[in-house]
Amino acid sequence: MEDDDAVFKALADPTRRLLLDTLLGRPGASLTELESAVAAEGVAMTRFGVMKHLKVLTEAGLVVTRRDGRRTLHHLNPVPIQIVHDRWITRFTEGPAQVLADLKHTLEDQP
Amino acid sequence: MTTPPPVPAPVRSGDAPLTPAVTTTQVYQVIIRATAEAVWAALVDPDQTSRYFHRARIEVVGDRIVSHGPAGELWTDGAILESDPPHRLVHEWRSLYDPVGALEPASRVTWQLDDRGDGTVLLTAVHDRLEGSPHTASSVSGVGWATVLSGLKTLLETGEPLVR
Repeated sequence: MEDDDAVFKALADPTRRLLLDTLLGRPGASLTELESAVAAEGVAMTRFGVMKHLKVLTEAGLVVTRRDGRRTLHHLNPVPIQIVHDRWITRFTEGPAQVLADLKHTLEDQP
Repeated sequence: MTTPPPVPAPVRSGDAPLTPAVTTTQVYQVIIRATAEAVWAALVDPDQTSRYFHRARIEVVGDRIVSHGPAGELWTDGAILESDPPHRLVHEWRSLYDPVGALEPASRVTWQLDDRGDGTVLLTAVHDRLEGSPHTASSVSGVGWATVLSGLKTLLETGEPLVR
């Protein structure tokens, strides 16, 4: 599977987006914390269900795990989304941005 | 085992934007089709860093890692805490490019390069020790580091920078 396919597939599910929202506010959350966050949003899901969603997010590179003793900490990794953004947005903005930068230099270099 | 300090729950109201908790550990990761040696070189070669790292010219000077802006101004300066090429580089980070960030204590950046054995490298950047540096934490978080890693991947895989 292409990298971008995995990212879009992972994002195409409201529970997985909820998990990413949670990690944005709680970097390093444990599985138990994520389970509670999902339950707090009224989503009925087993621990195994949360783990399955985390696996999809991890395989897409959107979640990175770290070990802290016996705990597994989960972090949101925004880089795959940035890569998608750069593919369609950054390449469009560099033109206007360069025009403004040139204008600034032209104006500032005038005596 | 010590209990971690309580982390405030994200403020969530409908689809309103969340406030990221930036002063805890930030983790960024990307897979790059290149050798670990090439990725390592790109991290410490000013002619390469200037093409993906917000135009900063980053170089190793003795036991420090130092970066300068396009006009030669000092942007960052930190001690190298650990250097094991081409696997692991740990250094201090001080935001001298920003008058407020410059007053904050040094934070820490850890680069980990893992050869995946299939012609790609898993590059992980961890920015931590940010508890006393909220201004730096928010200036580097999200887009700040993500554009650096995305730009580095593009440069190494295509030979061209993302933004000229």
